[in-house]
Amino acid sequence: MDLKINGQTFSSEAEAGDMLLWVLRDDLGLTGTKFGCGIGICGSCTVTIDGNAMRSCVTPVAAAEGKDIRTVEGLATLDADGNEQLHPIQEAFIEAQVPQCAWCMNGQMMTALAFLERADSPTEEDIVSAMGNNYCRCGCYARIKVAVANAAETVQAAKTQEVG
Amino acid sequence: MAQKREDITLKDKTRDAHAAQKGKRRWRVSRRGFLIGAGVTGAGLALGWRYGLPEARLAIANNLETAGAPGQTEGPVTAWFEVLPDNQMILYMPKVEMGQGVHTSLAQIAAEELEYPFENLKVVSASTDRGIKDGFGTGASNTVSTLFTPLREAAATMRELMRSKAAETWNVEPTSVVAMDGTFFQQANPNEVMTYGEVVEGVSDWDIPKDPPELKPISEFRYIGKALKRVDFEDKLTGRAVYGYDVRVPDMVYGAVARPPTIGATLASASEGSAREQPGVIDVVIQEGFAGVVAKTRAQASRGVEALELTWTAADPIQQSDIEALVQVSDTGGVVIQREGRTRANLDKGKLIEGEYRSPMAAHAHLEPQAAMVNVKADKVTAQVSTQSPGLVRDEIAEVLGRDKEEVEVTATYLGGGFGRRLNVEVALEAARLSQAVGTPVHVGWNRTEEFRDGYVRPPTHSVLRGSLDDAGNILAIEHVQSSGDVAFPFFPNFLVSLFGADFGAWRGSRFHYDGIENRHVVSQRAKLPLKTGWWRGLGLLCNTFAVESFMDELAHEAGADALEFRLRHLSDSEHGTRMKAVLSAASERAGWGAPVAEGRARGIACSTDVRTVCAQVAEVSVEDGKIRVHKMTAAIDPGLVINPDGVTAQTQGSIVMGLSSTFFEKLTVKDSQFEAANFDRYPLLTMKETPEIEVVILESGDKPFGMGEPPLGPVAAAVGNAVFALTGQRLRELPFKLA
Repeated sequence: MDLKINGQTFSSEAEAGDMLLWVLRDDLGLTGTKFGCGIGICGSCTVTIDGNAMRSCVTPVAAAEGKDIRTVEGLATLDADGNEQLHPIQEAFIEAQVPQCAWCMNGQMMTALAFLERADSPTEEDIVSAMGNNYCRCGCYARIKVAVANAAETVQAAKTQEVG
Repeated sequence: MAQKREDITLKDKTRDAHAAQKGKRRWRVSRRGFLIGAGVTGAGLALGWRYGLPEARLAIANNLETAGAPGQTEGPVTAWFEVLPDNQMILYMPKVEMGQGVHTSLAQIAAEELEYPFENLKVVSASTDRGIKDGFGTGASNTVSTLFTPLREAAATMRELMRSKAAETWNVEPTSVVAMDGTFFQQANPNEVMTYGEVVEGVSDWDIPKDPPELKPISEFRYIGKALKRVDFEDKLTGRAVYGYDVRVPDMVYGAVARPPTIGATLASASEGSAREQPGVIDVVIQEGFAGVVAKTRAQASRGVEALELTWTAADPIQQSDIEALVQVSDTGGVVIQREGRTRANLDKGKLIEGEYRSPMAAHAHLEPQAAMVNVKADKVTAQVSTQSPGLVRDEIAEVLGRDKEEVEVTATYLGGGFGRRLNVEVALEAARLSQAVGTPVHVGWNRTEEFRDGYVRPPTHSVLRGSLDDAGNILAIEHVQSSGDVAFPFFPNFLVSLFGADFGAWRGSRFHYDGIENRHVVSQRAKLPLKTGWWRGLGLLCNTFAVESFMDELAHEAGADALEFRLRHLSDSEHGTRMKAVLSAASERAGWGAPVAEGRARGIACSTDVRTVCAQVAEVSVEDGKIRVHKMTAAIDPGLVINPDGVTAQTQGSIVMGLSSTFFEKLTVKDSQFEAANFDRYPLLTMKETPEIEVVILESGDKPFGMGEPPLGPVAAAVGNAVFALTGQRLRELPFKLA
């Protein structure tokens, strides 16, 4: 089957019931999406599918076929000179020096991505509610909160600019 | 013709490198133990520094506690730099990056004396071939404290070697050559510039200085002490960083291993069953006590394991109540690990207070499950492993495969959390056995159920404390008897177990650091449990400090004293006492101790000392709908000299979150000879929702860094419990907390 990932089409021999996580990681080599629990609790495997944050460890690949899958590898973009431009969320996570081991950070950022696409000027409560289901064993929660709030402003400004 | 000569040179280099590995020739070793030679790439200059772990650590408990875990090292550790002709400097890290930030702090320390731009320094995880001979690995919060001086001396030596060469080239005195940002220039003629790369290019003969160069005074530090940004984040946040679970090499296949159905069961017999007929299965590997399957995908390997025909010999059945009964302080026995004054006699005087505390088994719950890739070839075994102990993994793989250690090269990848669980990694041996069978690289990655059920866990503890107060409310004597499952002993040879008597991991944090108390006595009793317990972040620190510091609170309450003032008055003006008092004062001041607290809230305080780092924390709590809520944690910490203040803050924040998770949620239980939790549905962790505001005050002291990865875990549970007591009058004696 064909999968649309980060704007590119990938061909996979996966079976319909295979979980998207393992197709991404082992089949296609996109190891930025991490495995943590396999039952959709910890959030390390979060990707966005048509803009929604999804736990790829419990998402059968068939459910993602034909849809827009976005992974952490697709967050940054290349500018006209071929230089990597980090996504505002990545910038915010670096600026706030959020991670420690960073195994969960893919999931944190992809969850934030889906959240910020929809949220306008989120409050602290909104952020905690959106981000509160992703585990971080190193305990970087306070910094995640700061980074998502900062990224919200950048994303908001970009949205306003687009509209304007 | 030129091409031919190069070929010969290359051949010679290979031979030389081989000889060097055997410990012959190649590297010229000076009396001070410096190693010097060409870089791995055959160009430039590489330099390392040999050092042994202090043997004194093996001697007495007092030393153990200040220095961390003893090294099981069989030889020296080596830290390596390399300068390439294009002026790229590489720092080969002898320690593992598991999130704690040591690649950044070690790079800061190195860049300082190298006079090389920190941001240009390339940091690479060293393989065992490169010089990790460190059997203990990365843990015990001792990376920075043990490497601080050796790394600076090596860096300074490297710089001076190059300075001498530059001076020679220019025909000037070395003292007139200035090193700055990876270049040299002549003091008298600043336009004469050479990069380090230019200096080292083509040079093969180096004179090692007899004495180590003088090191910079603290006042001249430009990298050490700065909140520089982490070197690993861009790779980690773009998905490029490679962890053990992410390793992919050509022709790699996947392995899975049969697991015992109950704790302690051993494989009685195994046959292939229909495993070999399952789709994708490449090979079935059955050895003494081991059965595994290699397949094209992970899922196929797992299905292959399910198709094996296995019989298991069960161990004696165990229930949770059996374990709890074993971890029980008794009136006799144990090893005295602190004896000051005459405690027993003085407990009989004054007013006697008793208290007891318990903690349960807990999981490490690092989010990256165990993972390793091993490639067994006829001439060489290479492995990339998510491990805190690459040296130990190399030795173990060599043993399992019956190979020479020199034939095995292990590289630690980035780790998705360590917390002590990756000091001993069975997964690498599983991948090694499977790769040996199929002759291609095999990756084995555990699932979360294997994590919960097939590793080792934090042991349960039971503490009984007694203290006596004089008429003025001062502590006359204090005693702590603690029982714990093993922490370090499971990994130690028997002779060391007998030598130590008590498990230093189990009793970590159990001693009384109030040096104003004359009579102090601590006994550690060993509980032998029928399941695997072991290293967990901070070892016994969190649970023992919970007992000791909750009991201090009980004594303060009985004495009618303020909990802060009571602690301060039992600390002397010694260096340690002064540092403890400073963090207690700083944390309480910042938390508003003594000032009115919002209605329905109360504060509690606790402190600890670990690997010479002192930390105090104030918790502010309320109880809402019968549930404890922590609103704020205020910490003050003195880790000696600070390398990176933001790293200190991050480790403190993270330790507090991990400590709170233990305080409120984490408890492993056994039912019918199996852990009840198989995943996070039965073993939830603290999330952002329960995480309070955390404020960190850093106090710096002295000119040497101590440990930072574990010490701030110490006071967490006690501070919260003490706050709950202040609010409700209910003394919480067991982790995780539950209000009556």
